[in-house]
Amino acid sequence: MSAETPFSSKRFLLALMLAACSVILLQNHSLSENSSFLFELASMAAGLALCFLCFVPTLLLRKLRNADILQLSARSPAVVKLPVAVFYAGYFVYTALYFLIPYTDMFHAKYYPGVSPCLITVVLLGCCVYAAVKGVNVITRFGIFLFLFAMLTNILMFGGNLTALELTADSLSWQGSTDDFWQNTRYFLTPAFIAAVFACLNAETNNFRLRQPVCALLFTGLKYAAVLFFIRFAVGAYAGRQEYPTFVLSRTAHFDRFAGVESFYLALATMSVFMIVSLLLCCVTKAADREKNLKTVVLFTLILLAMYTVSAYVNSVKEILTNQNVFIIFTGIASLLPLAGLIGGRKSNAPTLVHSM
Amino acid sequence: MVITLKNSIKEIKLNLHTKFADSADLTIREITLKSANRLTAAVITMEGLVDKEQLAQSVLNPLMVYDFGNMPPQRAAETIQNSVAAAADLAAFTTVDELVTYITSGFAVLVVDGAEILFAAGTQGYAFRGVSEPESEVVQRGSREGFSEPLRVNMSLLRRRMKSPELVFEQMTVGSESQTQLMLCYLQSKVSGQLLETLRSRLNACRLETVLGAGYLSDYLEDKNTSRLFSGVGISERPDTVCGKLTEGRIAIIVDGTPAVLIVPRLFVEEFQGVDDYSNRTYYATFIRLLKYLSFFIAVFLPGLYVALAQFHPEYIPSFILIKTAEALSQTPLPVTLEVLMMTLVYEIMKEAGLRIPKSLAHAVSIVGALVIGESAVTAGIISSSTLMVVATAAICSYVTASLYPPIMALRLVFIVVGGLAGLWGIVLATAVVIISLCSKTSLGVPYMSSLSPFSLRRMRDVFLRVSWKELGRHTIRVQKFPETEADHVR
Repeated sequence: MSAETPFSSKRFLLALMLAACSVILLQNHSLSENSSFLFELASMAAGLALCFLCFVPTLLLRKLRNADILQLSARSPAVVKLPVAVFYAGYFVYTALYFLIPYTDMFHAKYYPGVSPCLITVVLLGCCVYAAVKGVNVITRFGIFLFLFAMLTNILMFGGNLTALELTADSLSWQGSTDDFWQNTRYFLTPAFIAAVFACLNAETNNFRLRQPVCALLFTGLKYAAVLFFIRFAVGAYAGRQEYPTFVLSRTAHFDRFAGVESFYLALATMSVFMIVSLLLCCVTKAADREKNLKTVVLFTLILLAMYTVSAYVNSVKEILTNQNVFIIFTGIASLLPLAGLIGGRKSNAPTLVHSM
Repeated sequence: MVITLKNSIKEIKLNLHTKFADSADLTIREITLKSANRLTAAVITMEGLVDKEQLAQSVLNPLMVYDFGNMPPQRAAETIQNSVAAAADLAAFTTVDELVTYITSGFAVLVVDGAEILFAAGTQGYAFRGVSEPESEVVQRGSREGFSEPLRVNMSLLRRRMKSPELVFEQMTVGSESQTQLMLCYLQSKVSGQLLETLRSRLNACRLETVLGAGYLSDYLEDKNTSRLFSGVGISERPDTVCGKLTEGRIAIIVDGTPAVLIVPRLFVEEFQGVDDYSNRTYYATFIRLLKYLSFFIAVFLPGLYVALAQFHPEYIPSFILIKTAEALSQTPLPVTLEVLMMTLVYEIMKEAGLRIPKSLAHAVSIVGALVIGESAVTAGIISSSTLMVVATAAICSYVTASLYPPIMALRLVFIVVGGLAGLWGIVLATAVVIISLCSKTSLGVPYMSSLSPFSLRRMRDVFLRVSWKELGRHTIRVQKFPETEADHVR
């Protein structure tokens, strides 16, 4: 992992956005029930616009210093370097759990109620260790296949629900309060964690430009909009009463006598979580230690597993680990930290001089 | 260590008899030349490797007839080289190692007693299989010629197709005991120097005692720390295929004694390209390509998916199929995973038996396989008909891309077990791990999944599609210029 071949940030972003979409759509608890479709679209636009703002510090850092935040902190004295590394390592562990917990919950509730969620996590994390050891570049290559599979799943999911679409006269009404708006916006801010990932990895990509996050966010917006549209007008009130509405959408999809699109959704969600957790493990490794790759990955995987196990038995821990506000605050700091690096960081790549008296 | 010969025939004889431990096929014919000072010479050969008629005509007869007068040994040797020997291929040398290599390669070595140099005359005449159509790469249109065992014949097959002086054959020797000759073959203007250097160093690192086939070297050519499930070394028995690869900057390795030529670097998408694709109509070639990809997926995933669906997720199977499948499965004693696993293993055993037994018995084995194991087992209720159909379909599909058979077979077994233990979820995770492993694999620094991932839209013209030659001819492909090729290997 230390000797990565530079790779396309376009590919990286697109795959990440798609994977993030699939995973985020597992988290059903955050959208307001009182808002209308148009209102949700507006809050989605606001959420994604804020997401874009999170990318700006990283873009500036790349343009002005051609480095990522970890490289920049490595040039700084230990009093700066250590807290930055600790913060990012902690943030990525938290983010991995933030995505992992809802996934295993859904998986346990909907697909394999008889299997222990901890066992599911152990197997999944084992696979993630293998991927994380292979490095970020390899994971982004995997992202291309995930992208194709996501396309197929979405086509099946939306195509299978086309016959159930019911548009009424008040379909395009505007309904929702300011509180609903902020609640929904917070939900759509989740992809901002990708900006934090980029803050740590952008030096390994070879063509990170402004238009890439813009296009990727537009693409993500389209995907969200399509999902919201179908949930509201194809499965409607039924989905509103259910947990995990996107899962319901995949379950109701059918082509004549052929159903089972939910298996595609399961596969997509699994691969997305696999990719995101592997990637976050890579980021943790990079934040903590650039050289001892396998050992660091295994160490942080064990930490992840321990925290997951604790969260499975202690509800308050789980509450904190899946708290949207905590996640957004952390993500905000992680995405904006490059700005601080830009203002206070060293420009040259020369090692820090130590003055001894 | 190079040992220089002391060129007295007596000493050379002694040296060779010691080296070959008085081997029965070592032949040393001593002759007295027509000369005033009674010069003696010897012709050293290995029996069975030399064409005796050619040896007599081009070496012995002229030697016996020529009058050397009062020449000293060294001048006599020079005269033989310049005026007497009629062999088209005559090389001078001075060391024991070269002497051994020449005689074991079918050359006749000529020694003049007391001269400083020895000569090797190309009089090879051993029996070998002629040029014939390779059975593993049959084509509908195109050349029917395939590589044979002798190195020189294989080189000539390539040279006949590539008349350019850019085509270079570079000789190397591997195997401390077998001293197997091999040729690195490449187009000078198209190959990457760095790639060539890497390849040479890997072959030099080969410490095998014997190299009896091209497959012995495959492991040495693979990149370090990459998955060995799929091979990063291509194999072909067709000269036209090899020539096509050379034009893309690849390097071929022809190993003496085997018709299989190794080609590096090798990419995943190449496994689905055939010689016929480039002779057929574009739409048909595209259709065949897509069929090959589909067959690959069926061969790998079908049995595993069947097990996962039947055991864990019957609700995903359409009801009209589910009823029949469930009915069939309920009448068999074994769990579906074991049933599929058992049938797959039985099929592999039958396949191996079919390959090894004499052709006259193959028909009987087919009948036993089809009737006894197939029909009777279903009738007796030991296996279900749907299981048999799934295993048979996967087996047939695996032969569409025959070069991928080993990884297909291994993955199929893995997916059956994983599908039986963890259902669809297990299959999805295993697939993710396999894709990661494929994406991390490189072949001499070139990503194995190039064209697909890293994705290249331009190269799609010859991946899932096969566009017309007019389109293909517009851009030349150089394997070292593929995106994300590791700089340590290729520049």
